[in-house]
Parts: sequence; C-alpha cells; structure tokens
Amino acid sequence: MLAVLVAGFALWRGLQGWAWRGLAGLAAALALAGPALELGTRAALSDIVILLDDRSASQALPGRGAQVDQAVDDLSAGIAALPGTDLRRVTVADSDDGTALATAVSRAIAAEPEARLAGVIAVTDGRLHDAQMLPQGLAAPLHVLLTGQPQDWDRRLVIEEAPAFGLIGQEVTIRLRVEDQGTVPDESRTGSVNLRLSVDGEDEQTVAVPLNTSLSLPVTPGHAGQNVVQIALDDAPGELTDRNNAAAISINGVRDRLRVLLVSGEPHAGERTWRNLLKSDAAVDLIHFTILRPPDKFDGVPVDELSLIAFPTRELFLERIDDFDLIIFDRYSVRGILPPEYYMNIARYVEEGGAILVSAGPEMASVESLHLSPLGPILPAQPTGRVIEQPFLPRLTDDGRRHPVTAGLGGPDPDAPDWGRWLRMSEVTPTGDAQVAMTGAEDKPLLILDRVGEGRVALLTSDQVWLWGRGFEGGGPQLELLRRIAHWSMKEPELEEEALLADVSDGLAVRFTRRTMQDGAGPLQVTGPDGTVTQVPLAADGPGRFVADWTAPEPGLYRLADGDMRRVLALGPAAPREFEETVADAPLLAPLVEASGGSVQRLSDGVPDLRQTRAGRAASGDGLGGPWIGVTPRDAATVTGLDRRPLLPGWAWLALIAGLILTGWLAEGRRRPA
Amino acid sequence: MRATWPGATVETVAATPGRDLKGALLAAVALLLALDAIGSAWLGRGRRRGALAAVALALALLPGPRAQAQDMDPDLMRAAADVALAYVVTGDTRIDQASEQGLAGLSQALRSRTSVEPGQPIGIDLDQDDLSLLTFLYWPITDAQPAPGPQAYLRLNAFLRSGGMILFDTRDGDIAGVGGPDMSQALRRLAAPLDIPPLAPIPDDHVLTRTFYLLDDFPGRWQGNPVWAEAPTVAAEAEAGVPFRQLNDGVTPVIIGGNSWAEAWAVNADGYAAFPIGQGWEGDRQREMASRFGVNLIMYVLTGNYKSDQVHVPALLDRLRTEEILAP
Repeated sequence: MLAVLVAGFALWRGLQGWAWRGLAGLAAALALAGPALELGTRAALSDIVILLDDRSASQALPGRGAQVDQAVDDLSAGIAALPGTDLRRVTVADSDDGTALATAVSRAIAAEPEARLAGVIAVTDGRLHDAQMLPQGLAAPLHVLLTGQPQDWDRRLVIEEAPAFGLIGQEVTIRLRVEDQGTVPDESRTGSVNLRLSVDGEDEQTVAVPLNTSLSLPVTPGHAGQNVVQIALDDAPGELTDRNNAAAISINGVRDRLRVLLVSGEPHAGERTWRNLLKSDAAVDLIHFTILRPPDKFDGVPVDELSLIAFPTRELFLERIDDFDLIIFDRYSVRGILPPEYYMNIARYVEEGGAILVSAGPEMASVESLHLSPLGPILPAQPTGRVIEQPFLPRLTDDGRRHPVTAGLGGPDPDAPDWGRWLRMSEVTPTGDAQVAMTGAEDKPLLILDRVGEGRVALLTSDQVWLWGRGFEGGGPQLELLRRIAHWSMKEPELEEEALLADVSDGLAVRFTRRTMQDGAGPLQVTGPDGTVTQVPLAADGPGRFVADWTAPEPGLYRLADGDMRRVLALGPAAPREFEETVADAPLLAPLVEASGGSVQRLSDGVPDLRQTRAGRAASGDGLGGPWIGVTPRDAATVTGLDRRPLLPGWAWLALIAGLILTGWLAEGRRRPA
Repeated sequence: MRATWPGATVETVAATPGRDLKGALLAAVALLLALDAIGSAWLGRGRRRGALAAVALALALLPGPRAQAQDMDPDLMRAAADVALAYVVTGDTRIDQASEQGLAGLSQALRSRTSVEPGQPIGIDLDQDDLSLLTFLYWPITDAQPAPGPQAYLRLNAFLRSGGMILFDTRDGDIAGVGGPDMSQALRRLAAPLDIPPLAPIPDDHVLTRTFYLLDDFPGRWQGNPVWAEAPTVAAEAEAGVPFRQLNDGVTPVIIGGNSWAEAWAVNADGYAAFPIGQGWEGDRQREMASRFGVNLIMYVLTGNYKSDQVHVPALLDRLRTEEILAP
C-alpha cells in the first residue's frame, strides 16, 4: 500500500523512476512476507485388516466350527502374505443376549486408526442380535463370510405374542407361528405340522397346524401363580436344530377381586374383627349382612322410624351364590330366615368349588346349630352339644404345625405358644378326614379344615378370636390367622398344604421347596429337557417343609415330580436366542456391506482368495481359482520430519531492493539534467 | 532397619504428610449434635401427647402378666361371652346404682327388640379390672371421682385403641351452658390422659343415626344438648362413596354428652322406670327415644360402620349383575 502511495506520489510529481520505486516497495513487502520452501519426510504405514470369527452357540451346529477354523486359517495366511498389511483378530463368544457381533465390529474399528483400515472380514452365520450397534458407515469394505451349507433348512416355533399375566378363568391368547427357513426339502413340505400342547405338563394334546401362518392359541389360566404352557413341534428330519422347536410360556394367573359374603347371625364383640380384616384386605370386596333383629322380635316401631332392610336371601343364596368366593357364617344360628333349599344350594355351591367358613359361637351347641340344617353333612365336625366355658390356651396340633394356615404361628415352642387365652368354645367331634389344625380346652378341636368335593370348609369352634385382637393377656396373631383361614378357603396357592415350589434364584440355580402334610417327602424326580431323570433328595426344614438346592445342567424345560405332585419348570430362555434363527444369512449386515463396497460370500463355496484392490474398484469377484475378496490398501503414511528453507536469503532481498531503488534513482537522475 | 539419628527427622519425599481430620470431624459431630438437639426440641413441642402415646404403646406391647385360671373374674368372663355392658364405678352409690339400673334397662331393651342379648351389667373398677374383655364402657362423670392411676390409663388407652368405646356422660344436660358450675372441669381432669382424637358434634349423617332406628337427636333424661364424637377425618370425607379402609372400621372411640342417659334407661327391680322424664306423653316419647339411642349406640359399638357400608351393597350387587351381562 505504502509502495503504491509512494509510486502514485512519484507519478504525480512526474518522477521518472516511479515504476522502480513501486517495484522496490513491492519487493520489500515480499521480503516481509518471508516466502519459504517446506520439505517434509514421510514414512508409509501398514494397512490393517480386521478378521472376526463368530464362535457363538449357533456356530456350534454340525460342520460350522470346522468351516470357521478353515476360513480363519486360510485368511490369516492370506493377510500375512499381503505386503504391508497387519491382521487384527477378534473372536465373538456367546453372550446372554445372543450374538453381539455388531458390538465387536464397532469396538474393533474404534480401536484402529480409520485411515489404515483396509478391510473387515467377518466369519459368521450372519445371525446377530445387536444390529443397532452396527457402525453407520465403513471406510473399508466389509466382507461377510457365511458358514453353513446351501441345503440348510430349519423349522421353528415362533411365539409372536404371549401374555405375562391373565385373570384366572378368563381366556388369554398366545399368538404363534410355525416357520420354515432355508431350503426346505420337498419331502418336508407337508403344509401342516403337529403341535403338542400342554398346560402345567398335563393332558398333552396334539393338533395339526398350518405352516408359516399366524395362529391364535387360547389359554385359560386355571390357578393362581405360574401356569406353564408348553408348546412343542415334532422334529422334522434333516432340520438344522430341534432347539427352537419348543417353548414354555409362563402365564401368571391373577385372581380377580375376591368377593366375600359375611353373614353375622347377631351383632357381637367379634364382628368388627371380621370387618376390620376383610375391609383392610385390598383384594376383597366385602358384602356384609347382620341379622340385627330376628323375625320373632317386634317392638311396634313404625317401619319409617327403623333403619332395617330386608335380607336379600333369595338373591344372595340362590341367584348370585356362585359369584362369591367365600361365605362366612359368623355366629349364625338357624332361625328360619333361610329355607332348607337355600342351605342345600350352599352345600351344592361348596361341592362345586365354593368355600364356607363357620365361626361358631355357643349357638353351635344349641338346637339352632347350623349342623342341624341341610348344611350339616358338609361341615367337618359334629357338635356334641356341650359348651366349654373355661379359659384355655389355643395350641397347634402336629397337623397344624405343618398346615400352611397355622404353620409358624405361636412362636418356636409349640407347647407354650406366645398368645393369650380364649374363654369359650363348643365341643365338636371331627368327622371324616378333616384336619384339626388347632385345639382348645381339653384338647378338643378348635380349628378344623376340610375339603368337600371341589370346595373347602373351615370351622372355628370358638367366637373369641377377637380377644387376641383386644390384647387380652398379650393378645395373639388374630388378623394373620383369620386372613390365612379365609385365603386358604379361597384356594390361595401360597397356602396349599401340598405344594411343590421352585424358586429360580440365579440363572440355573433352583431352590425346591416341598410343603406337605406327610412325614416325609422326596426324593424329587427331575426330568431334564433331554429326558434324563435325576433324583434330588429333599432335606427337612421345619415341620412339613422339605427343601433342596439344585443347579440345572442346562437351560430348558424340567419336569418335577414327587408322588402326585407335578410341576413344570422353565429354566433359562425357553428357546435360546441363539437358536431362534439358525439358517445362515446376513440380512441385517447387508446394508452395511453394500455401503462399504464389501460382499457376502458363502464358505460352502470355498474360502475366497484375498486380493488388494484400489478403493472404489470392485472389491470382490470370481477368479479362476474361485471367488475372491479384496482389501483396499490405504497408503497411509506418517510425517517423520519437516524442513523449512526461505526462498531467498536476506542478503539477496537487500540486494534486490537496493538495486531497484538505485535503478529508480538512476532513472530520475538521468532524465532531469537532460 | 533404618538407622535413627538423634535430633534429626527423617523426611521422605514421596509421602505427603496426612491431613489431620480429627478437628474437622469433631466439629461436625458437635454440629450434628446441636441439630439433633434442636430437632428433638421441635418434635417435643406440642407433640408430647404423641410421645406419651408411643410410650403407652410400647408398654402396651409388652406382654401383660399372665393371669391364671383361678384368678379369672367370672364376671369378666361373662362380659366376654355375653357382650355384657359395663360401667365405671365412681364411688358415689346413687350414681353407681343409676348406672347399673340404666345398663340393665338398656340390656332389656336390646334383648326384647334386637338379636343382641347382653347379660347382666358389670361394674368396673378402673384401677383393678382388665378392660380387654369389654366392648362398651359407660362412664358417668362426678366431681368427687378420684382419677384412676397411670396403669389404669394405660389399660384405658389400649382399650380405646383396640376398638372399645367409652360413653362419657356428664349428666349435666339440665344445667350446662347456662354458665353455672357443670361437669366440664371434672371431665377434663379425668379424660386428659386419654388418647382421644379431635372431637366434633355428631353430624346429622353419622352412622349412629341409623344403625337400627332412624334418629335425629340423642336424648337421655335431658335432651337438646350437643353430643360429641370423633371428628370425621378429611380422608373419609373425600372418599365418601368408596368403602374407606381404616383402623377399627372408623368407629369413634369416645362419645361425650351430658344427657344423663343411664337415668333415662334405668329400670328398678320392679321393672318400672327409676327416674321421671318430662311430663306426660312427651316424657314417654323422650324415654322411648332414649332407649332407641341406646340400641343404636350398642349396635354401632358391635357392628361399626356396617350400616353405612350397606349403602354400597346394592351397588356391589349391581356390579355383579353387570359383570354377568358383560361376560360372554
């Protein structure tokens, strides 16, 4: 700028040397900019080829392991033979979530400089379970070498949709499909296939279902807790594996709200105990009726000054009785309120799976006893007509210590339970094979539990359980006892006398608990998924409890049996993820393969040769000796040194500028005198 | 072995000297202690009753002394067996007799009109008797009555907590509210150590007005005075229409009034009313209403909120019906 100004000034003044002066200024500016020559020294870097081998369980199918070994050996040798190429080996093992191939690819790529990556080769069956982890793009071709044979095929059971919970008695739907994959041989193209179904390992049914079609399987959970639905296909000859031909679905049976009908024969001190219990139970809808005034009492008060309603007996005991899960008769005496056919209907209701609980006061020993009604035959004890009015300490019997309704109550010492006394009970004689869980005064039965038909009957021969709630002499576990009696009557699975429980604690470790009223139990017969039978001895753990800890050898379906008790246990994933899809194919990898310019090859066609190709050229093809795959050398290099030389040395610049300005001066000086 | 150099300290370069945290920790401890003290003081203010209740609860949870069969009071056994009504013996013979006659009269009314058939009333000495066998306790208030001992109050509180009910009767319905001397001082003195929830005059829609008879007042020998019970809790009001779930079925542990009910219920040995009420037909009507209140009260004690739940029974039955229609 300054040079231009000076030159302009010189021009205006008519100086002859303006051009020279301007040039000198420009030369000075150039010198200030310091033009220099840079000389770098570079060293070439080796290319990197990543070779992944998939060693997950699905690669253990017959023949695939050898294919992988062969391919890895050949390719390793091939890569070693390429000039300036390094090999990185990555092995993908089994994980709980299936084959984590994509994660391994991403990690291996992230660990290497992108500019040196010449290729990624994956030897796999293409069935990966973490496709979302695949990298977005690759700087080098990805070659997928698939194991397996072209004639591989597999038939599998696909559970499309299975509910985890279901209301007892209400249908739930499992959606499933039987699918053929791969090259199905003609003799297996049957169109339909036999499906074996069973619930809780019982009543196996076989149905023929069409192939490759979505089906709905209605299932009705029959009981609370785990309902195990087993579904299995007949094995087809020649298919890759039979491990995806069966499934076990656990549907947790849940009970709808329980409806309890409480009928109090008269208001008494213990009535609010029942109300407190049943109203605080969130799973219970309580319908309560109390006979406030018996039909034989009348005081002449007009109806509109009374707050009494009629007892809707017909509706409750004839029309709606089957809607109730439990009917509690609390100090109920037969006073002509219910006609005999109503009692007969109650007896029928119990035999068809209902439940009644009788909490009897002294009326049990009187002529108004329920025992004298048509309900008598299903009651588990016969009153002798004697009321024992003396303080007594309720005690658990041997049966009671084993029975889940009373087990564990009353502290460790069965002869001195830590609760208060009761003051009155009716004497009864148990009938049939009713179980006496508690005894009272003179060791007479206090709590009797019985099964009638499909239903249950419980009888408490004293109405003074409320004394425990009041804290008389320290009180007792009144709410817990009544709750358990009521829920046992309603068939709560946790309170079943004979039970076989299996708690899966960690993976394949199981704790078996056998609850029984018998003196001993076991050994437990465990039938494994492959049909082998193991005897597991059970060790006593408290009255009526036998336990064993056991670890299953492998995941799958186990059938447990001890006498009549049977149970099916599904351990681990029913159809392991690895075996969901077994026919080798790479649909999930294909987009990335295409984007990276790689290829998908089948090892059954032979291990491909390895070549070096330029980036952008075809990276695979068929050569004379068979297929080949290419890796692209990246010519990566690193700069090892840098030298910087100025274009002209300082003295040369000085000479140049001085020369130019001198020429300018000379030019001016020459013209002026002339 | 490292040689020791007298008078020289060996310093190692690598190890930085540790920081002494003792002072800081001590300061933190002191601070926390101060906070604890402030917090405790804050909790204690106005919460003393809660603390007392906690102590009482802890004591109540200790197993009581085991009575032996021979020391079981036959009267108390009868109380448990027959729902016998009980009254507090005050020491004033006239009042105790009125209580006994009153409860006998009420028992008779219950026997003749309802399915509750109580036995003979029982007089309770608060300092001696076990209350856990009782359901209902009538407590007439007198000036001269000595307050029972601390053990008795522990038993009374346990009784109230486990579902028992006390009817306090100040018997001053004729003179209360006119500014003269009444029993409120004595009531306050006797009831102060009890765990009594906030009280409110019984609302018109209280279940006590419809447990057996429909009532709009709770007369005794006097009438027109407010009768107090546990104030309805906010939650119970909010959930009206939904069967509410709470301890003791939401039954008030105390009812307080001054209508001298025992005297209205009282019958003498000949079966006649022991005390006059009002005049003529009006008086007879009042006595009848007093009996009806007594019946309702005992029904309330025994069945709790049964009657208020019965409002929901048609709805529950309707629901059964609806589900039946909806089910395939």
